[in-house]
Amino acid sequence: MSTDSNDLMALADSLVKLGIMKGADEIEVSIGDGSQFRAGIRDGALETLTESGSRQLAIRAFVDGRTANASSSDLSLDTLDRLVTNAVARARLGGKDEFAGLPQLEKVAVDANELGIFDPAILALTPEEKIAYATKSEAIGLKQAGVTKSLGASFVSADETTILANSKGFRGSYRSTGAYASAAFQAGEGDNLFQDGWFEGGPMRSALPEPEVLATTAARRVTRLIGARKVSTQKVPVVVEPPVTASLLDFLAEAVSGEAISRRQSFLVDKLGSAIAADTVTIVDDGLLKRGFSTAPFDSEGVPRRTTTLVEAGVLKSYLLDTYYGRKLGMKSTGNAGGTTNLYLKAGTAKPEAIMASVERGLLLTGTIGFGTDPTTGDISIGAFGLWIENGVTTFPVAGVTIAGNLSDLLKGVELIGDDLRFHGATNGPTIKLAEMTIGGTAAAAPGAGG
Amino acid sequence: MGKLQRREFLVLAGAGAGAYVVSGFFADRLAAATLPAPGLGLFEERFGVTAEMLRQVLQAALSKGGDFADLFLEYSTSNAVEMEDDIIKESDENIRLGIGIRVLKGPQTGFGFTSQLELDAMRRAALTAAAIAASGSAGAVAPFAERPPGRQVYQLRTPFSEGTLADRIALVKEGYAAAAAHDKRIVKVRSEISDELQVVTILNSEGLLTTDVRPQARMRVTAIAESDGVRVTGSDNAGGRIGRAFYATPGTTPKEIGTRAAEEAIILLGAVYPAPGDQPVVLGNKNSGVVIHEAVGHPFEADGVWKKTSIMWDRMGQKVASPLVTIYDDATIPEARGSLNIDDEGTATGKAMLVERGVLTGYLHDRLSARMLSATSNGHGRRQSFRNPPLPRMNNTFLAQGETPPEEIVASVKKGFYASSYEGGMVQGTGKFTFSVNLGYLIEGGKLTAPVKTATLIGINLQMLNDIEMVGNDLGTFLGSCGKGGQSAPVTAGSPTFKVREMTVGGRA
Repeated sequence: MSTDSNDLMALADSLVKLGIMKGADEIEVSIGDGSQFRAGIRDGALETLTESGSRQLAIRAFVDGRTANASSSDLSLDTLDRLVTNAVARARLGGKDEFAGLPQLEKVAVDANELGIFDPAILALTPEEKIAYATKSEAIGLKQAGVTKSLGASFVSADETTILANSKGFRGSYRSTGAYASAAFQAGEGDNLFQDGWFEGGPMRSALPEPEVLATTAARRVTRLIGARKVSTQKVPVVVEPPVTASLLDFLAEAVSGEAISRRQSFLVDKLGSAIAADTVTIVDDGLLKRGFSTAPFDSEGVPRRTTTLVEAGVLKSYLLDTYYGRKLGMKSTGNAGGTTNLYLKAGTAKPEAIMASVERGLLLTGTIGFGTDPTTGDISIGAFGLWIENGVTTFPVAGVTIAGNLSDLLKGVELIGDDLRFHGATNGPTIKLAEMTIGGTAAAAPGAGG
Repeated sequence: MGKLQRREFLVLAGAGAGAYVVSGFFADRLAAATLPAPGLGLFEERFGVTAEMLRQVLQAALSKGGDFADLFLEYSTSNAVEMEDDIIKESDENIRLGIGIRVLKGPQTGFGFTSQLELDAMRRAALTAAAIAASGSAGAVAPFAERPPGRQVYQLRTPFSEGTLADRIALVKEGYAAAAAHDKRIVKVRSEISDELQVVTILNSEGLLTTDVRPQARMRVTAIAESDGVRVTGSDNAGGRIGRAFYATPGTTPKEIGTRAAEEAIILLGAVYPAPGDQPVVLGNKNSGVVIHEAVGHPFEADGVWKKTSIMWDRMGQKVASPLVTIYDDATIPEARGSLNIDDEGTATGKAMLVERGVLTGYLHDRLSARMLSATSNGHGRRQSFRNPPLPRMNNTFLAQGETPPEEIVASVKKGFYASSYEGGMVQGTGKFTFSVNLGYLIEGGKLTAPVKTATLIGINLQMLNDIEMVGNDLGTFLGSCGKGGQSAPVTAGSPTFKVREMTVGGRA
């Protein structure tokens, strides 16, 4: 869809001009122009086939520190003319906010072509190849012992051009691709059913493994839960698998966002420069990671992306900031308008097997269900799935329990960090061992696994 | 065309003195408080889309052998205003315009969409969707027979969207001020209002042509309280497919919404963590509809039934719950957030019984699930926008009221947990669910004692349904947005106070 991206840049330019003419002090226009393909397979047949071309234009206008936003999928000139005019009129009715406004113009130093976010090999994939990938991954998964049902396998490819222009003279555009595959399965019997799946993908075709890898990973994640049961309420050490480490990082990212800090809805308010985690913990948001899942040359307001170390050897070094919250906190934007980019916890040296071996009695946490996290307090209380550990080895699967703890305590209680960091989504982490979490299950009985 | 623009300009620009402009495109139909006229209306007048063009698009959609095709034309305008830090922080205006084209071939779905309503672009999207059918002869498109929706469950006499930005700002400020003034421990308030007017026209290869104009508004106030280093958040909201009088009606005034948000935050300041483990749980009437929606409603959506992924797929006619339990979904409650005149496939909505006195009696169908199960759609095919194909979804889902006064229910529990408000919930097809409780209480000796924060409820829906021991006589309703398959849909869900013999409560020991 990028054949006319020059026209779209010209459209953005003309709307910026129009906004200024109508009385805006500052105005930003962004346009997303993309196409997406999705094939969904279930039980060996193509179930859904979606293909679309889609455009969306967004405007931010500022008049005397007052903000108005607008967006539209109708890109006809009379609609856009009216939206810009309205936005300027609406901004005047807003409240004056000394921190509102566009970022200072900053040169984007990186060449988008060097970032590894556009891959012609993805554009060259035929619908048949994409359908075949999903079909094959589902078929292999269904053959794995214990898998009873397919919840569907999919292949998605995307091609998107992002265009941004503002009245401070920023003009930028880049094109990115993506290819993503997923498969999910059900296992178990009676009322004791389980579901899980796996996802792989990124901006380059090479990010996708063979369908076998996707399928067997997805199948293993669910079949190992067959027969899972509750354990009694107790406090134990917890070994966290990489996908759950990633969700803990996403929760941390919420708490270090400029928005949460500025609203004082974070347990990390006033903690910059303090030790918030074990000294083995280093957490990085790398907006420029080569071939990264969320890599781009600039953020959603035109600030160059960069590499930000959030936590270094346990010490909180930076918040995640856009221009507005940066100004509000007296800091500079970290190029995170739009949120985290490629967020990860640096790998340690421990082998995952050695981490398991270090646990006398505890839980290997493989998945969670629910949204029970509160960035204001750091409290976590969610449903959990996993495998019980006795004397360093897994003994039986666990479900129907909750886990609870506080992220601040958990970060300080990181005892071991695995060497198994892999980049396969936006947020990634290795296996880690946490000193202790509270498991909520059957009435606390005699010590032991309970039932 | 000119009229619509002028009207929208006045309304959306909120020029202040402009007040209520009821001239323009909608005037004739809305002022009469009746259903929108049949036909292409807006899409023809404003965007030049004719019935003949759409017939050609449907023909392209069926050109590769599909056995059914439909078109979903959407034009939505939405607005939002947010107040924080004592100022009107920003306002938003969004326009969504486009067409979604779907083709069915047996159990298979082909889908394409575009925001360009020119014939060529629509035909291209149709051919994309058509590709789901690999073989077969081109299907025929029946002549269009215009059919207006058979009921009107929205308040369109004085649509909320007709108000100016200044009107919205006044409401937002009122809610903000009430929360901020409630207690000096309230340290931060956010107040926001959002509204939408969605015009949809649905056509299909069987000749259906129908139009629905759907209003929606919601106000929400969030209050943060702080004391002795403890920070907690309370919130409240109200809205629906309402008119302008709604926020002047006792019970849903901005002042009351703001006050309730602040009250919840102040209560939470004194809250303790729950005792984790299995225990009797009483679910309060105001918000526990979310539990009915997630844990009970989703497994009755018939896509999971024909795909056999729902735990309920093979239990029709069987006992799935305690005899105290009757569950239904009613999309026709006037002005409710989840109500619809017709669903997003143009099917008339109604009231669907799901469980009657403990026995499974029905599912929620869209066209596809109905065809796969040899049933008739009961009007539950919904989509987030023209960018999404329909899925079977809930509208307003209820656990029916019982006989027992709520005080008696609480009094029956020696030691347990009472859930009052929630941050959200989630369920798998396997029936496993989890809920995050924002505010709960300990029950000790048959009485509510200490408030509780950061609790989680987990369980399996079949177990919970069978463990419902008491059902109250105090039906309440909860407003929500339901996510499924990447699509969000406005819903309500309701329940009286009810008691579950035992659930697993998670929290900090």
